[in-house]
Amino acid sequence: MLEYLALPFMQRAIMAGLILGALLSLLGIFVVLKRMAFFSDGIAHASLAGVALGVLTNANPLYVALGASSIFAVLISWFERKTKIASDAIIGLIFTAGMATGVVLLSLKKGYQPELVSFLFGNILSLQWSELYIMAGLGLLIIIYLMFRHKQLALMILNPDIAHANNIKVSLHQTILYVIIALSVVLGMKMLGVVLVSALLIIPVSTAKIFSQSFHQLMAYSVIISEISIVLGLILSIILNLPTGAVIVLTGIAIFGLTMAGQRLKLQFFHGQTG
Amino acid sequence: MNAVHVKNLTVAYDRRIVLNNISFEVPKGSLTAVIGPNGSGKSTLIKALLDLIPYQGRIKIFNQKPSLALNRIGYVPQYFDFDRTMPITVREFLSFISPVQSQQATQICREVKIDNLSNKLIGELSGGQLQRVLIAQALYKNPDLLLLDEPSTGIDIAGAKTFYEVIEHLNKEHGVTILLISHEVNVVYKIADQIICLNTDLICNGPPRYALTEKVMHQLYGPNHEIHRHNHQHKT
Repeated sequence: MLEYLALPFMQRAIMAGLILGALLSLLGIFVVLKRMAFFSDGIAHASLAGVALGVLTNANPLYVALGASSIFAVLISWFERKTKIASDAIIGLIFTAGMATGVVLLSLKKGYQPELVSFLFGNILSLQWSELYIMAGLGLLIIIYLMFRHKQLALMILNPDIAHANNIKVSLHQTILYVIIALSVVLGMKMLGVVLVSALLIIPVSTAKIFSQSFHQLMAYSVIISEISIVLGLILSIILNLPTGAVIVLTGIAIFGLTMAGQRLKLQFFHGQTG
Repeated sequence: MNAVHVKNLTVAYDRRIVLNNISFEVPKGSLTAVIGPNGSGKSTLIKALLDLIPYQGRIKIFNQKPSLALNRIGYVPQYFDFDRTMPITVREFLSFISPVQSQQATQICREVKIDNLSNKLIGELSGGQLQRVLIAQALYKNPDLLLLDEPSTGIDIAGAKTFYEVIEHLNKEHGVTILLISHEVNVVYKIADQIICLNTDLICNGPPRYALTEKVMHQLYGPNHEIHRHNHQHKT
């Protein structure tokens, strides 16, 4: 096992995993609080248009997808504020429009597309140093933003009118939140793929919610659970020779199941003692 | 001096007029109640005062445009719908508002009777406790004007009684101007200095015993409503 850690691709994968684990689990708190799991799923699928454009123009699909997803996020925020169309319908429109554009663009390129497969199903072991630098830079920037702004974001999600009365620029911060979720989802796609990336937004916070007694505990435990899921999943996928992204998700799900079972046992024991 | 000055205020959603050319003033230090049936424009009035919606006419709060006066306004919403399974303590929720000295925070929590709830999760509070926490968040800004949108909705009788005691205390002891939307006509008749009756148009405006006539009640709620007058003194 130790010889694997000496390999550069493995070192890149672990570093990227740790950054993405912290980033996606922290953002997941706001995604769950705002009940917008469909948003992250929609953005992941819509950014296929960016991936396809990158493949077609021989540009790095990751960079093009980051740009495309930001545009989609701004569009969703704008439509939510300026029209009467329901939020999930707007996301559905962007989701399908992006996917359809991606399929059309990809049909113009002949032959097997390894880049496309890695974005659909994730392959963190294929990460390049240049991509890791972008991931680390952007990821740390977003984490610092969340550290400084998490109180305003939480208040804005809990009640936008109270936030406005407290001089928080709700539409600006909502758009920023959407853009950073979109950017993080695209960064996460390299690890888990379009299909599974939402898992790291939802599973760690859902697990941490089971036993957290405060918002700050929730933030800390979400990050810890996410990092454990990623590192453990990465190691298991190498030992068992299975797809990395899927094993990371299944590891997270297993931790969630064990935590739920542990909590139920604890409650039963507590009732047994007092009853 | 007036805390709120509203002149010819009209608000329309699409083409439907919700508030029609209303004008009134709220004296500084007063407790003013806004009453009216559902859909009469009460919550819309609060949203206009908070600069949350576009409007025609003129609104001045402490002689400033609403957007510039937000620092002086505390706001308690009608609904506070959130994921109750999210672990956020009362202390953390209040820290989302703005940093205040711990001594001041302790005093506010004592004033609104939530000093024993600091470590409790907001999702586990009763309706009355949550409403008092919402008042505390509004007071964290040390506001000169408190806007309360149907604050006793969904609270039991004991909770509502405590709530109105807190409101009266803030008004009388601390001089906070209060604009309160309420459906409880008999309660606001007792505690308010001024009553504003809305039903898209301004139906009445003045001290309760003069403003709330049988005719006004019929205009607001139909023929089957009446008020029970009490023999007590109002601050007029």
